[in-house]
Amino acid sequence: MIVFIAEAFAGLFIPPIRFKEFIQQLYFVANKSLVIISTCVCFAAVVTILEYSFHLKLVVQNDSMVPGFATLLILRELGAIITALLLCSRVGAGYASEVGSMQTTEQIDALRMLGIDPINYLVVPRLIACVVGGMILTIVANLTCILVAMLISQSYLGFTPTMFLSAMHRFVDFKDFFFAVVKGACFGAVIPLVACYYGFRCQPGAEGVGKATTNTVVTASIAIIVIDFILSYTFSYLY
Amino acid sequence: MIEFKNLVKRFGTHTVLNGLNLSIQEGEIVFILGTSGTGKSVLLKNIVGLMTPDEGEIWIDGQEVARLSEEDYFLVRKKCGMVFQHPALFDSLNVFENVAFGLRRHFNLSEAEIIERVDKALKVVHLSGISQKMPAEISYGMQKRVSLARTVALEPKILLFDEPTTGLDPVTTTAVNNLILELSRQLRTTSLVVSHDMKCALEIADQIILLDKGKIIAQGTPDQIKLSKVPLAQEFLQEVMSL
Repeated sequence: MIVFIAEAFAGLFIPPIRFKEFIQQLYFVANKSLVIISTCVCFAAVVTILEYSFHLKLVVQNDSMVPGFATLLILRELGAIITALLLCSRVGAGYASEVGSMQTTEQIDALRMLGIDPINYLVVPRLIACVVGGMILTIVANLTCILVAMLISQSYLGFTPTMFLSAMHRFVDFKDFFFAVVKGACFGAVIPLVACYYGFRCQPGAEGVGKATTNTVVTASIAIIVIDFILSYTFSYLY
Repeated sequence: MIEFKNLVKRFGTHTVLNGLNLSIQEGEIVFILGTSGTGKSVLLKNIVGLMTPDEGEIWIDGQEVARLSEEDYFLVRKKCGMVFQHPALFDSLNVFENVAFGLRRHFNLSEAEIIERVDKALKVVHLSGISQKMPAEISYGMQKRVSLARTVALEPKILLFDEPTTGLDPVTTTAVNNLILELSRQLRTTSLVVSHDMKCALEIADQIILLDKGKIIAQGTPDQIKLSKVPLAQEFLQEVMSL
């Protein structure tokens, strides 16, 4: 796996980068995931606001800090991790089955026979698209989540948008936005690397493709959660 | 021209090729026959570096190639064309782009020259007029012929066929066999054909190799194989007689 990852990153510096393929992959990763991710983060925002309110009222009999805490949670964890896990199931599974099918039908061997490096040809455009797509989707997910949190705070808890934004301003720093985007990029990179790794090692037959897809979703999900811990721990020293 | 010296290939504890020695001359048509899982496809993939042998040597045109790096293999693969067991066409490209793919990569040709060579290759496999179709829009047999056209278009010195006629109708099977013969005789192309088709082997092969458990158990011209007492050769011959 380490050698494969190293080869994929080395491929970023070997021309030509397939720009048209990158755009197609970016469309597949970002545009086609937008609705799913936006919908899911909306529900996550509702739950966050209601849970914070319930617990703050229970412990300190006051929910005035809900907007600040909620926004902080959304930016530092929720937006990026929900986006990554949804991308992992949609894009990761898709890539693993696509590359796995190519492996079992000897298309990857055919590429090598024609003098094409399969990592450069298949992995690099997907890697770049997922990194860029991961960043874009994390930004969109965070903004959507905050917007919905603001609306829910207004309708259920009586916080006006001005109160919400002013609380958010007190709690949130630009670094929170920046680190969220960094997380999005890192999680985005994990998905195609894991998916293509299992795709390249796919065993023949439908069972092989199924196994490659399952392994991809499980491994990438675990990797995302572990990397999230490492990044959060590292960023905690930088706030 | 192609020589295998004591070639061994293992997958875990399972030995697929077990000390194989074989020499193939330029322009020869060699059929490799055997039951499934005896290492026929593995042998072809070792020649072009899609697999690496665990032991032994592979010599092509006086060069030992078994342990070349991926970059160095580029020149070896340029000499070789391989028709895979699956059509292995690129799903996202149409027939024309599939056939042109290797030409664009290997040769510095103008677009007009590429069109000419693609048309010629498609004509050879009797598939003129489908160049704009996607692989999913044509039958399996046609896909296999496009795959053959993609290989032939590159005009390689060595052609490796991994069960080229499996899944094809009898008319196309004969056409493909004739094509192998034609390429070999006219262009002095060396052809290695992995197959189960003894009838076809007897018709066009210069040399027939019978492989069992990773070892050569019978080898010779079609006439010599017809007289072979090896049980597996007898079984294959009986299949032909029953047709």
